[in-house]
Amino acid sequence: MINKILSILYKDFKIEINQSHLFFSVGLYVISSIYIIYISYQPTGILSSEHWVSIFWVIILFSSISAVSKSFFQESGNRNYYYYYVLSPDELIISKLIYNFLFIVFVTFLTFILFTFLLGNFIQSYTFFISLLLIGSLSISNCLTLISAIGHQVKNNSMLISILSFPVIIPILILLIKLSKISSSEFSWNLIQDDIYLLILLNIILVVLTKVLFSFLWRN
Amino acid sequence: MKYIKILSILLLIYTASAGILFDVPRLPILNETIRILYFHVPMWFTMIFLLFLSSFNAYRFISTKDIRYDLKSYIYANVGVYFGILGILTGMIWANYTWGTFWTNDPKLNGSAIGLLIYFGYFILRNSVDDESKKGKISSVYNVFAFSMLIPLIFILPRLTDSLHPGNGGNPGFNVYDLNSQLRIVFYPAVIGFICLGLWIADIKLKIQKINNN
Repeated sequence: MINKILSILYKDFKIEINQSHLFFSVGLYVISSIYIIYISYQPTGILSSEHWVSIFWVIILFSSISAVSKSFFQESGNRNYYYYYVLSPDELIISKLIYNFLFIVFVTFLTFILFTFLLGNFIQSYTFFISLLLIGSLSISNCLTLISAIGHQVKNNSMLISILSFPVIIPILILLIKLSKISSSEFSWNLIQDDIYLLILLNIILVVLTKVLFSFLWRN
Repeated sequence: MKYIKILSILLLIYTASAGILFDVPRLPILNETIRILYFHVPMWFTMIFLLFLSSFNAYRFISTKDIRYDLKSYIYANVGVYFGILGILTGMIWANYTWGTFWTNDPKLNGSAIGLLIYFGYFILRNSVDDESKKGKISSVYNVFAFSMLIPLIFILPRLTDSLHPGNGGNPGFNVYDLNSQLRIVFYPAVIGFICLGLWIADIKLKIQKINNN
């Protein structure tokens, strides 16, 4: 099973390298939206950590939706039939989860570096914030993968994926924004304990549901 | 179904009359508006109950492929959303008299509004698929997924933060009245009455849908 997952991942990366315009388009999306914010805040720059945190996560949300929504579309119809014979749905969805996670980690860290470069940052505890970015990418990818699989089966899908994913992702986003605000002021474990546990719990629920529901969705 | 209808009528008549006539505890700020408890809170109980039935039926549909469950799941979600909208409206009227504004940034209010957005997304998803069997499958999968995200949104997140809403952050809520059973003798029948009403409406809609399909 692990071999198969690894080989799908390897194939996905090869496609990504061959069709590098998709990869770069997401990168450019991030860069241009951050640049717009840089220009619109121009005379003073961002002064409060609350603005910084909320704009940061909103940009990550939008760019990861555009990044994840293409993860199922790069599969052509014939290849799907081929997968149907060779793979079990669990193997496919786990490889997609890992792939999306890696992609969103890339988007998140690109955003973080550009933000630090152009808008400064307010982070007090770097170790905590970077681990928060990793957990955040994991939760966003867990949340969006099933939605993009749903959107793959529907026409007129790019609009639909954003409509369906916004409300579902909001609980996670509320927690992430709250935690990042804490990490930009005084940081202590007591303050974040409950929220971190809840985030981990949500991730477990999301992974289990994605795994169970995808097998129903995939069987045509 | 017959008993549910009779129960619903009796309990709702009791709620409407006893809810307005019976004595209630006098609390600062809340005063007489405390009677909203009999009408606002049962709306949310009914909504959660119907949405639970909806996602339960959605799960039964994807595991058995029986089209009846899909129809049920759709109807329950539909009626549940009506109750959610009524819950928001009654809450807004109450908030205007006690907080002085129709809407504030409060975790409970945000949670319920986002919860309704989830189900509006579900209806749009349903209408954007033409193929009948595919429609049921995709929307059922989303229904189960969305309901499991609704639970933390409505039950867990508001409890982690302070809130103006009664029952949160030191504000007087239902548990404060443990000693005072005056509210309970109307509140519990009201919840059961409204749940029965929700089931009744869903039953009628189900029959209409079946006739239309034929």
